[in-house]
Amino acid sequence: MAKQTLPVIVLKDLKKRFGIGDAEHFAIDGIDLTIRQGEFIAIMGPSGCGKTTLLNILGLLDSDIEGEYELDGKQVASLSSRRQARIRSQQIGFIFQSFNLINRLNVIENVALPLTYKGMSRLARLKKASSLLQNFHLGEREYYMPNQLSGGQTQRVAIARALVNDPAIILADEPTGNLDSRASHIIMEELSELHKRGNTIIMVTHNPNLTTYASRVIIMLDGRIDSDTQKLPKKRKPAAKKPLGKKKKDKAAA
Amino acid sequence: MRILLINHIQNAQQSLKSNRLRSVLTMFGVMIGVASITTILSLGTGASKIVTDQVDALGGTIAVVRPGAPSQSPFEDVARMPNRQNFAASTLTDADLLSLQKLDHVQAAAPLMLLTGAVRADSIAPSNTPIVATTPDLAIVNSLEVREGQFLDDDLNPNTAVIGPQLSIDVFGTEESIGKGITIRGKLFTVIGVLERTNMPVNYNGVDFDTAIIINKNSGRILNQGIIQIQQINVRADSIANLDQVIINTNKILLKNHANEGDFTVLSGEKIAQPTNELFYAIAGVTTAIAAISLLVGGIGIMNIMLVSVAERTREIGIRKALGASNRDIVAQFLIESLALSIGGGIAGYLLGYLTAFAISSFLTFDPAFSWEIGAIALVLSIGIGTLFGLYPAFRAARKDPISALRQYD
Repeated sequence: MAKQTLPVIVLKDLKKRFGIGDAEHFAIDGIDLTIRQGEFIAIMGPSGCGKTTLLNILGLLDSDIEGEYELDGKQVASLSSRRQARIRSQQIGFIFQSFNLINRLNVIENVALPLTYKGMSRLARLKKASSLLQNFHLGEREYYMPNQLSGGQTQRVAIARALVNDPAIILADEPTGNLDSRASHIIMEELSELHKRGNTIIMVTHNPNLTTYASRVIIMLDGRIDSDTQKLPKKRKPAAKKPLGKKKKDKAAA
Repeated sequence: MRILLINHIQNAQQSLKSNRLRSVLTMFGVMIGVASITTILSLGTGASKIVTDQVDALGGTIAVVRPGAPSQSPFEDVARMPNRQNFAASTLTDADLLSLQKLDHVQAAAPLMLLTGAVRADSIAPSNTPIVATTPDLAIVNSLEVREGQFLDDDLNPNTAVIGPQLSIDVFGTEESIGKGITIRGKLFTVIGVLERTNMPVNYNGVDFDTAIIINKNSGRILNQGIIQIQQINVRADSIANLDQVIINTNKILLKNHANEGDFTVLSGEKIAQPTNELFYAIAGVTTAIAAISLLVGGIGIMNIMLVSVAERTREIGIRKALGASNRDIVAQFLIESLALSIGGGIAGYLLGYLTAFAISSFLTFDPAFSWEIGAIALVLSIGIGTLFGLYPAFRAARKDPISALRQYD
């Protein structure tokens, strides 16, 4: 990265222990890591190396940890579970491999769901979700149920949901794991679009091809960081597809 | 905060709707419980209200003297069901009656001596026909109207009787029975009057005058092996203003007559109805307690279905937590769902309860009473049930670990 931005996430000797006694083992065994604002990090590594565990910890879903985790300058351990929930609601967006939409809610309600916990009224929620879905070219699918969508569409809905509360950090756990290569490509374009607009993205992946989108690649092995590579921003061909995602500027220009 | 609450309510609405049949069936449990409680309470209140109404109708100038000390709790009355006068020898005497009649401001005082025994004429009267031995003053005190003929009179032959219209129909097949003979415990009486229909089977005299036969006090004494047994003395003051004075004097003179033993009770106004009321309340209370068991079953139904719902939606809980729901939000979501079930059931049960009460009351002589207390009881009960049985599933939902919850299959 050319210019140094503020660190958002600082990990110091982070450990996560599973099991007790003989069965005890560390899924994460001493990680020191600083993640700065605006980075697009791809975390790679074999199965069971602790990638997802790390992501869950970063997303405040797992607070039973040893070591230090500082988020925006605050020690996470000192935060109440209520405060942590509020941070999840306001600063973090999750994208899962298995999409994790709620099946009995339609697309627009799924996208609007995170806003519920920000205390927005239903109308405001649906309006915001609707405008976001328009950007994702899913405007016509608003009242579809999740099981009526293709995999790529479902993941785009899930990304829209992760973005609806304007999070600074986006955590993606194998976002393309269940998609074919064409759909994967579209999703990755979405993510790199978000990255360009200044979001911090942390993505766990198995697929080495996807690291081309990232600005920094971390390879994990047995709960430790094996290698940490900064990449120079690659000059890519302009996207053949119209850029997706939120684009207030483009709109204003048009 | 307010908006958050509305959000939770919308949430609950959504999830209950998506399981419509299950929600309705769960509500049924609470509905049946609340319905039976509403029915019992409205009928019980209605029944005790009629006695109060009768006392009011007499213009509030009536005081009633009963043997025995005042009862301390309604359950004493239940234990003495159905009519304690039937079993205990009365403490009231002829002398008491005479001294009451002589008191100032007493318009009239009449004794009630209740007998049982066979009554027959052309056909046999029902076995529980009340035989009332009293004085002619009873007509004044109780405002008894004679439809035909005349009421008792001291100047007439003692072996005369006044009968209720229903009894007349039962034994003679007609309400026109003046001059006919009627046999009480094998002794022949002549009918000299038929009462106007009162339609008050439940009243403070403990006698349904529609089916009763009224005879002279002395005839009663003869039928009762020469002993006077006064179960109640009705005293009527000459005006409402003087009733208090009459009650005080009654207490004084009776205490004197009874050697300062308080073995009698003087009741007036609403208190006349009280033993009856308390009896009804006690009965209503006991049956309500039994009905409450069905409510409890309904509550367990809610808890059961909420636990199923929590288990089914484990993944959803994980998602919601990942998206920013706090534990409190999850508790609120599930608690509001169970409250919606119980309150919905409660309202439906309240309505059904009144429908049932009116259906039942078409076989009874009184109507169910409406009072805000019954509505409040129904509401409080259903809210209580919803909270009580919703809390555990809600906390269980909130305690779920988001990571393992997310791993669950949908």
